[in-house]
Amino acid sequence: MTAAIEFEGVTKVYRRGWGGQEVPALTQVSFAVNSGEVCAFLGPNGAGKTTSISILMGFHAADGGAARVLGYEPGDVRAKRQIGFVPENFAFYKHLNAVKLLRFHAALAGVALGETDARIADLLGKVKLSGYETLKIGKYSRGMVQRLGIAQALLGDPQLLIMDEPTSGLDPAGRKEVRDLILALKAAGKTIFLSSHLLSEVEQICDKAIIINRGRLVREGTMQNLLTTGDKAEVVADRIPPEIAVRLDEWGATTEQMPNGVKILLPLLRKREAVEALWAAGADVVSLQPLKSSLEELYMQVVGSENPS
Amino acid sequence: MILRTIAFNTFGTFLRDKVLLVVAILFTCGLLLMLTPLLIARTVMAAGNPAQAQSMVLGTVSVILIFTSGFGSLLAAWAAADSVATEMKSGTILAVMARPVKRWEFLLGKFFGVMLLMCAYIAMMLTLTYLLTVIGGQRIHSAPWLLVLYPLVRYSLYAALAMMLVTWMHPLMAWGITTATAVVVMIVEPTGQPVKNVAWRWIKNVLYTVLPSSGLLSEDRFLTIKEAAIKKTGWLDHVTTLAYGLDYALVLLLLAMWSFHAKSLRRD
Repeated sequence: MTAAIEFEGVTKVYRRGWGGQEVPALTQVSFAVNSGEVCAFLGPNGAGKTTSISILMGFHAADGGAARVLGYEPGDVRAKRQIGFVPENFAFYKHLNAVKLLRFHAALAGVALGETDARIADLLGKVKLSGYETLKIGKYSRGMVQRLGIAQALLGDPQLLIMDEPTSGLDPAGRKEVRDLILALKAAGKTIFLSSHLLSEVEQICDKAIIINRGRLVREGTMQNLLTTGDKAEVVADRIPPEIAVRLDEWGATTEQMPNGVKILLPLLRKREAVEALWAAGADVVSLQPLKSSLEELYMQVVGSENPS
Repeated sequence: MILRTIAFNTFGTFLRDKVLLVVAILFTCGLLLMLTPLLIARTVMAAGNPAQAQSMVLGTVSVILIFTSGFGSLLAAWAAADSVATEMKSGTILAVMARPVKRWEFLLGKFFGVMLLMCAYIAMMLTLTYLLTVIGGQRIHSAPWLLVLYPLVRYSLYAALAMMLVTWMHPLMAWGITTATAVVVMIVEPTGQPVKNVAWRWIKNVLYTVLPSSGLLSEDRFLTIKEAAIKKTGWLDHVTTLAYGLDYALVLLLLAMWSFHAKSLRRD
């Protein structure tokens, strides 16, 4: 699998004024996002997410290390032809309406003139802006502007979507629509690099996550690996026969009554033994899986400890 | 295609700029005040003194041209500085530069947008000048292309200077420095009078050599309403003079592109 995004020891330092104080924004950040993956890019405010995205897009130059996007240097037009970008708080020309703005972006993206209007109509439908084509964008609500930002990013049928807080300003229904859209793009094989603070949404749609804090990479991996605690398993059985309850106590397992049975948390090493004992005692095992933590728990664990509120 | 798209979008933004609209209306009102001396000239001609009338009309039209030319230079500098700065301030530049647009294409597209504005300005001012001359009962014999190309080259020069400066500094400062440069260029223009102070003469000579000459690039020197008085400037002279101005503009524009190439793009 080829890497759509590669960061190798990327460092960025901001300088305040002439010869002023140096503020490190990124320090030796390395990660890779493979083609076809939906990757969450997480971190608290000021962690360096927008700086990283700016480097990816070629808006800022890195002070050290190397970054590559779709095999090209950031900012290379060959890469940008295949990238759709949703900036945080999408800015627009207030005097234009949605169709004129999208025509402008379509012309820059090199969309064939004959296809432009059909593609615009399709995208406006997808982001639920049909019927607002002739309204000046200056009169749009924040959520509508954000949807328009997503529509403009999809104009060139990009292979890689870089989204900086795409659901900010959207109501719950709007967030769900964007989530569904991202899932549809994922199904179509697109690579998506998503910066967001909405951890529950990210957990639902992303294959992997990269967490940075204070300009440093603190955790990276597939969602499955990141969320698996590693030492415990969760078994759900319809009941616990009394002879098994004693053995579970001996193994240090805990139980919790659930609507569909009993949830048993036990050491991962005992899972096979426990399932066989339950079966042998006539209980039905409904499910067995490694115990997972939520992304929020993981995030608070790796970031929260360094950012005391 | 990219250059054209950015240029027309920039031009469209100017046309909807309310500040620009108000300034343009005030400026046109100021020009219309020139009607008074022209109507007086017409009365003088009717009274049987055509030579005096012609002189009055020529004087008035010359004032109009100096007025429109000065304002045009300020407008070109402001439009160039503002067109880039506004994109940075509003953050629209991020969505544009995320497209397969090279940085030099963005800047050149903006520059062409400014030049479209200046073409519209020249067309309006030229029409007004011809109209006022006719109202004064006279006729301008200079070739119209001279009155179009010369100011256009001059405006391109000031627009390129402002565009280069705005890649380094605040747009107001860029506009101020461009305006100051335009004033210095006029001051150091040779007047034919001997300069006694050696240091001042040396400074004037250096500045005159380094800076573009406003006298050479002025359409005013071709303005006449007397056919016999039209300066017989050959094609080669025109080409050389215009190339001299364009060369300055090109160098400034290349410097602007070089500076913009390394600039960090962010919402200001």
